[in-house]
Amino acid sequence: MKQTIETQVLIIGGGATGTGIARDLSLRGLDVILIEKQDLNAGASGGNHGLLHSGARYVCSDPEAAVECNTEIDIIKKTAGHCVEETGGLFVAVPGDDEQYIADFPMMCEKSGIPFKSIDVKDALLMEPALSPETIAVYGVNDASINPFKLSIENMQDVTLRGGQYLSNCILESFEMDNNNIGRAKVKNQVTHEVFYIKARAYVNASGAWANHVASLAGVRINMVLSKGTLLVTSKRITQRVINRLRKATDGDILVPGGVVSILGTTSVRIDSPDNIYPTVDEVDLIVNEGEQMIPSLKTCRYVRAYSGVRPLVSIGGEDDRDVSRGFTLIDHVQEDVDNFITITGGKLSTYRLMAEKTSDIVCKKLSVDWKCQTREIPLPSTQSGEWSEPTVFINDLRHSAKHDPVLCECEIVPASAVDTIIAAIKKDGSHLDLNAISLRSRVGKGPCQGAFCSVRILSHLYNIKELTHGQGISDLKRFLNQRWKGEQPLLWGSAIVQSSVKEMIHCGLFGLELENDQVIAQILAGDKNE
Amino acid sequence: MNNQQQIKCDLLVIGRGFAGMVAAAKSSALGLKTVQAGSSSSFFLSSGLIDVLGVYPVNKARILQTPKAGLRKIRIDNSDHPYAKISDEKIFESLSFLDNLLNDAGLSYQTKDLKNSFILTAAGTFKPSFMVPKTFLNGCVKTLKGKHVLFVDFKGLKGYSARQLVNVAHKVCPKSSSLTIEIPTHSGDLTPMALANLFEDDLFLKMIAKNIQSKMDDADLVGFPATCGIHDSFQIVEQLEKLIGCPCFEIPGLPPSIPGLRLKNAFEKKISQHDVIVLNKAKIRFDSYKDRTFFMTAVNQNMTSSIQAKGVILATGRFQGDGLHASRGGIAETVFNLPIFQPEQRNQWCDLNFFNPDGHAINQVGIETNERFQPMDKNNNPLYEHLYAAGAILAHNDWVRLKSGSGVSCASAVTAVEHFHDAIKGGEHV
Repeated sequence: MKQTIETQVLIIGGGATGTGIARDLSLRGLDVILIEKQDLNAGASGGNHGLLHSGARYVCSDPEAAVECNTEIDIIKKTAGHCVEETGGLFVAVPGDDEQYIADFPMMCEKSGIPFKSIDVKDALLMEPALSPETIAVYGVNDASINPFKLSIENMQDVTLRGGQYLSNCILESFEMDNNNIGRAKVKNQVTHEVFYIKARAYVNASGAWANHVASLAGVRINMVLSKGTLLVTSKRITQRVINRLRKATDGDILVPGGVVSILGTTSVRIDSPDNIYPTVDEVDLIVNEGEQMIPSLKTCRYVRAYSGVRPLVSIGGEDDRDVSRGFTLIDHVQEDVDNFITITGGKLSTYRLMAEKTSDIVCKKLSVDWKCQTREIPLPSTQSGEWSEPTVFINDLRHSAKHDPVLCECEIVPASAVDTIIAAIKKDGSHLDLNAISLRSRVGKGPCQGAFCSVRILSHLYNIKELTHGQGISDLKRFLNQRWKGEQPLLWGSAIVQSSVKEMIHCGLFGLELENDQVIAQILAGDKNE
Repeated sequence: MNNQQQIKCDLLVIGRGFAGMVAAAKSSALGLKTVQAGSSSSFFLSSGLIDVLGVYPVNKARILQTPKAGLRKIRIDNSDHPYAKISDEKIFESLSFLDNLLNDAGLSYQTKDLKNSFILTAAGTFKPSFMVPKTFLNGCVKTLKGKHVLFVDFKGLKGYSARQLVNVAHKVCPKSSSLTIEIPTHSGDLTPMALANLFEDDLFLKMIAKNIQSKMDDADLVGFPATCGIHDSFQIVEQLEKLIGCPCFEIPGLPPSIPGLRLKNAFEKKISQHDVIVLNKAKIRFDSYKDRTFFMTAVNQNMTSSIQAKGVILATGRFQGDGLHASRGGIAETVFNLPIFQPEQRNQWCDLNFFNPDGHAINQVGIETNERFQPMDKNNNPLYEHLYAAGAILAHNDWVRLKSGSGVSCASAVTAVEHFHDAIKGGEHV
């Protein structure tokens, strides 16, 4: 008999929404388990700009979403300030941009109640020297940048402190139906291959782009439109503020500062499946070509990484992907005769809290409890384990090397003590410990060397502190390097290809990791016998 | 304003990596007036192992017991590969030239009956190689099989774990154990360079030997990171063997590589004994070609040199050596703007799997040459009478997958220099 764990609410999906719901419900006093088939923010929550929208981007296409953003940004700044940098934002237009759109923009902002101010181009160029000297119009707005990894890590930390559970690498295999209810969920741990059941009173599908897949296991259908967006990370921060192109939303028109780097995006490519997505050379070229019109140095700057996310949009049919509402979709599946099942998808990072609140309201109604949402008031605690995901922390701070604390990642200055803190947090929240899990929670592998050196150093460290045995570290190392490579391969020009050549020399040339170690040894030993 | 000088020479070698060093040494040994320009920093990335051919075919991950077995197949499968332009005899002749050169410089390498050795790396994996530093030799599969190895690491030396070696190399030496030595005077990071300097000190050797002896149990061998001294590593390892009382060996790992530094020192020593004019860290510019002479300018920190050379060996390497430059539009050669064999579009450069056994299309890029290693134009004629290419810049040569880097560099450099020498000396006779 396989184990069955009981809880009040099972949440499927460890992105911003899922972790947000888990915290909201925990604050209301409910018992929750969150399962995630990979690790925190593996989907769209980790594949976005890290932008808290002022709402101005949506004033024309989606005024309702614009209003939501405007309200939420203030709440998030107040309650999760340690995840936010209040950069402010600019909307800028260059020659050739739609003049009608530029002319209508102030009026549309006013209509939605989005604060803005007109800025003289000359002043704007002083504020942000990287802007194109050709700039023709500039408006200032309240955009901010947010670290989505820190946000989800801290939300989940708070949940576990309040007695909730996080199960990483656990994939939902099926639902056992019981008349008009989900009876229990069959779950498989993808690392240990152990299968077990979770029995809950309510089930929340917060799986983002995978929402239709999860819903189908309960026999219901959600008409998803999956749109891949690709983003590029520059090696240095290019502007102080968020820079938006003042035009109808399209490719390569937002640059968001995040600590010491800037993030440029995005694209919109319709895809069939949210799995195995990666940035391509063609997308990178498109983004750079568009971005450089707004900020010329984007043509020549060094990019350290590209990544992709999938926008989980819900279609009502027919429209262009950029026009599908960025508002969220909340479905109580009681209307399809599955009484204890709720799907929340769509939306965006900026409104994750509101999405969590609305979803949690329905959960409470289903469980007949009337505890109220507290995430508007109770601040998200700041813990040590979120600290190392910040691109700003301890950069160029070499004090660690002085006190018996070797710096394992030299690009991003992550000392062994920080890695140990992260390992402790990973083990505490029940995640699977490997290099990818450490990288998710820190800056490890995200500097110019793209993990060539730090991967080996952290691996040795893991062996030394007895977190690894046998040959398992080698496959871990390969998984990690391949994960970094996905984001590196479309950007290999200039000095990036020098770095990747060095990485290949070390890991393939010397260590021979492209070969299977066991097979190599078998061949060598067999050759010996033949002599 | 920089100092100016004019130099006339027979052969200008551009590049101070492996191929450039072999070319300069061979050229001067043949009595040619030789100038060498470039940076030797790539040796910090060299493990010190001199590979010839370790894996072929790569997509079958076939590990070669002898390079010869693979060389035969490579010539059949891929007539564009640099090895297809050289006979086995020539390849091994060039390697003996190299072996003698390094031995003369006091760096002992060993080759075993034209066979590959399988050398333990710091990852715990085994790598096929051909010419092996004597200090690495006990770290081969044959010696380690079934043995109790005591792996030693040093606190603060990052990316090197004795415990990892015990665990990963378990299948070969299942009875091994680990020891971490703490050096009181070095409490934070311990760089390979700092550690290698410590090994030069007799007292340090005695101190660690004593420590190791107390933890030996019944160990048959002791494995160290490849940091056993800079100047006379062979003697240092011998002394450790004497002090500890069992065979010892070095294990190559993350750069910066000390065995690579030893190689660089050995090459530089030999080259300085000949009359090679070395323009260190010079940036080379091609000005013109007239009267069968290359007019080049080399600029380094304190000197601008105008060079007239009858021949040029281009051994500038690939991207890491700055012989090739990649831009969003394509790949270009940086000195002569030579035609480069490359994929049509950038989206064909790389596979999504970093570890694809076949390697990436971009690993095949480089200069295509005839069998004399002369870069060719579209009609397969040499672009310049005495321009040659050698080493990693040659196309159709995924040396990282094939484990063939040093072998291709050495054989192509020697072959190119010999062709040049024959051509101009032959010309004098007429």
